[in-house]
Amino acid sequence: MTRETFDNVLLSVNDLSLEVAHTGIEVVKGISFDIAAGEIFGIVGESGSGKTLATRALISLLPPAIRVTGGSVRYKGRDVLAIKDKDLRRLRGAEIGVVFQEPMTSLNPSMTIGRQLEEGLILHAKLSPEERRARILEMLERVGIREPEGALAAYPHEFSGGMRQRIMLASVMLLKPALLIADEPTTALDAVIQRDVMELMVELTRAEGTAVLLISHDLPMVARYTSRIVVMEKGAIVEQGRTEDLLDAPQHAYTRKLLSSLPFRGEVRSLDTSRQPMVSAQNIVVDYAGRKSLLKRAKIKRALHGVSIDIHEGEVVALVGGSGSGKTTLGRTIAGLVKESEGDIRFQGRSRDEDWRDYRLNCQMVFQDPYSSLDPRMTILTLVEEALRLVPDLDTAAKRKRASETLEEVGLNADYASRYPHELSGGQRQRVAIARAIARRPRFLIADEPVSALDVTVRAQVLDLFSDLQKRYGFSCLFISHDLGVVEQVADRVVVMQDGRIIEEGDRDAIFDNPQQDYTRRLLSAIPALDQNERGGVTLKWRLEEGL
Amino acid sequence: MKTFTLNNFIGGLLIAVLLATAALGLFWTPFDPMKLSFTARLSAPSVTHLLGTDEFGRDVLSRLMVGAQASVWIGFLTVSFATIWGTLIGLVSGYARGWADGVIMAVNNALLAFPGILLALGLLAVFGASQYGIIFALGIAYTPSMARVVRGAVLSLREREFIEASRVMGNGELFTLFRHVLPNCLAPITVLATSMFGWAILSESALSFLGLGVPPPAPTWGNMLAAGRPFIQQAVWLGLFPGVCIALTLLGINLLGDALRDRLDPRMRGLK
Repeated sequence: MTRETFDNVLLSVNDLSLEVAHTGIEVVKGISFDIAAGEIFGIVGESGSGKTLATRALISLLPPAIRVTGGSVRYKGRDVLAIKDKDLRRLRGAEIGVVFQEPMTSLNPSMTIGRQLEEGLILHAKLSPEERRARILEMLERVGIREPEGALAAYPHEFSGGMRQRIMLASVMLLKPALLIADEPTTALDAVIQRDVMELMVELTRAEGTAVLLISHDLPMVARYTSRIVVMEKGAIVEQGRTEDLLDAPQHAYTRKLLSSLPFRGEVRSLDTSRQPMVSAQNIVVDYAGRKSLLKRAKIKRALHGVSIDIHEGEVVALVGGSGSGKTTLGRTIAGLVKESEGDIRFQGRSRDEDWRDYRLNCQMVFQDPYSSLDPRMTILTLVEEALRLVPDLDTAAKRKRASETLEEVGLNADYASRYPHELSGGQRQRVAIARAIARRPRFLIADEPVSALDVTVRAQVLDLFSDLQKRYGFSCLFISHDLGVVEQVADRVVVMQDGRIIEEGDRDAIFDNPQQDYTRRLLSAIPALDQNERGGVTLKWRLEEGL
Repeated sequence: MKTFTLNNFIGGLLIAVLLATAALGLFWTPFDPMKLSFTARLSAPSVTHLLGTDEFGRDVLSRLMVGAQASVWIGFLTVSFATIWGTLIGLVSGYARGWADGVIMAVNNALLAFPGILLALGLLAVFGASQYGIIFALGIAYTPSMARVVRGAVLSLREREFIEASRVMGNGELFTLFRHVLPNCLAPITVLATSMFGWAILSESALSFLGLGVPPPAPTWGNMLAAGRPFIQQAVWLGLFPGVCIALTLLGINLLGDALRDRLDPRMRGLK
């Protein structure tokens, strides 16, 4: 592990170690790195790697249970860990700004945007109210808020996640800090907005000469914007270096594993699509009733505007789009969780409504959030067994046997059968959810963002499992995702949705190599094309840059 | 696993003593709790009368033992009544939503607007003061708060994906309701039911204190407490001991309730 030296070091971390105070478990193990003024520096790691705690220590903002056991953090030569609270407050915000992950909760919901932005300026700058207002308006304009005047009096809930993150960025950059710490700043946003926010962040910080510490699990995203990267695993830095070198020739096994876990394009499969489709949804319209008031009739909000989709036998059709595009609503409508206002859904040629029993037996669903999709009061085995409850021609013993076999199949051996969901990791839970869905041997599976809540390496494993099972049982699948990287790996055909309509569809390679619609291009520009080299590294190629 | 913490132990012990005393009172008491003795009026605690005697010379300990039965019985039936009805109403209201929810919650909120004790007073005025009148009145008075708590839990649960997963599996609404929704409401139900047990005993005492409780001469902790009030200067034990009994019972129930809730939750099992 080489550590370069600079003349213009802004922040220097030396041998920093943290532990959980009452257990003595070491969560960060002697990490060291330097950040130069004005550079964009990345920390990459999966959940539990200690990356967030390590960066919290940089501004002495550790949770009470965490103790610093050694090392130092020097900001412009001063030891951050040793300075007094009063001086620390002067440092935070004014010198080091922080953008947190969750734009939904990092703004105070009961304060107007104007007052929240003003807070920092009042604290750290001597300006008259008029000057403050002018500065805030200018900054809001720069981050792309359309009506800055109106935004001042608005509350956070009136803005979308992407807009809130822009406002958050504005509030931090108002103070022109020398260092911006961005902890998973775009993880909660969908791919297109994620890119816009990152571009904005880079642009703003470059203009102000602010250095950025970018923390994320998303290696390609970090690689795109940073000049140097450290990779953390289990509290330790396993590798650090210049971004190109690290990607091109990773030295550590873990880095190689991270890189090989990135989704690659799957092979082209030939499928017979001449026969009648397994599932066919025609002209689906879904309306949601808006809020009713005493005098006004409920305003109807149309979520789907007459959407049609066919899924053939054994085919994996990916439904992609940003948040609010209606992709989840379409999946849930086909599953029968949302009632369509108009339209016709057919399963194996017959109307779905004719035989719900048969449809339920043959259509299953995997949900997005493995923390919420399993009943916390049931053991793993009973969860899977329950899926078999309504299957005819199976006695109790056979059901139990099938449930255990299915658990084996998804890689959970008998030890797991009697455990409860909370005792499993996110990836293991998602395996249970998959086992529950395939235990009935359905002909059709709806998977709603099945891997977006998982870490990179776990995601790769679950995707492999999914593909294996799909090949073995040959079920048709509607795979809903906002992550085009994942889609590129698993899908045979891609359907792109925007604002409740299908705007483009076609074979995977056609969509990925030759997208026709502007929106599809924007989606694609958010993910890299990967070329693997023999050193275990990759070259990232950002698609369609020129078109934007 | 730390199931045998000090709190659980104290809670269990207090409730065990209460139940044992109430059971023992069925067969044996040191004196006849109804027997008047004018020679022993208001005698202080002594070797013969361990907890003293009241203004009619009745043995306080014996009366407390018999009174425990009434308190336990009233508490138990009231809580059962309110829990069963409140849970059913809450489940239906939260799961069905729509107009059913609107109507149920309107009635519920109207009932909640009255203080429980006032509602019970009104109902008792209609039904007349008796042990079962109290149970019925208090049960009705407590049902709305249970319904509200259960409805709240159901409303948040029904948005969870495992409820949708159950529907996708083809399970009927009733099956989903009792297999997935109800068990996940158990924690708030247990917590509320145990504190309700305490309230019920207290309210019974308060009603008896106001003269609307179990009619004398039958002893309950509440009417003993009430009867002791005029003599608080001369014979403090008359009010003190029933009061201590009520306080210790409430303490025991609350401690045991917490333990029970943790026991019922599989998520607590892993915490070593």
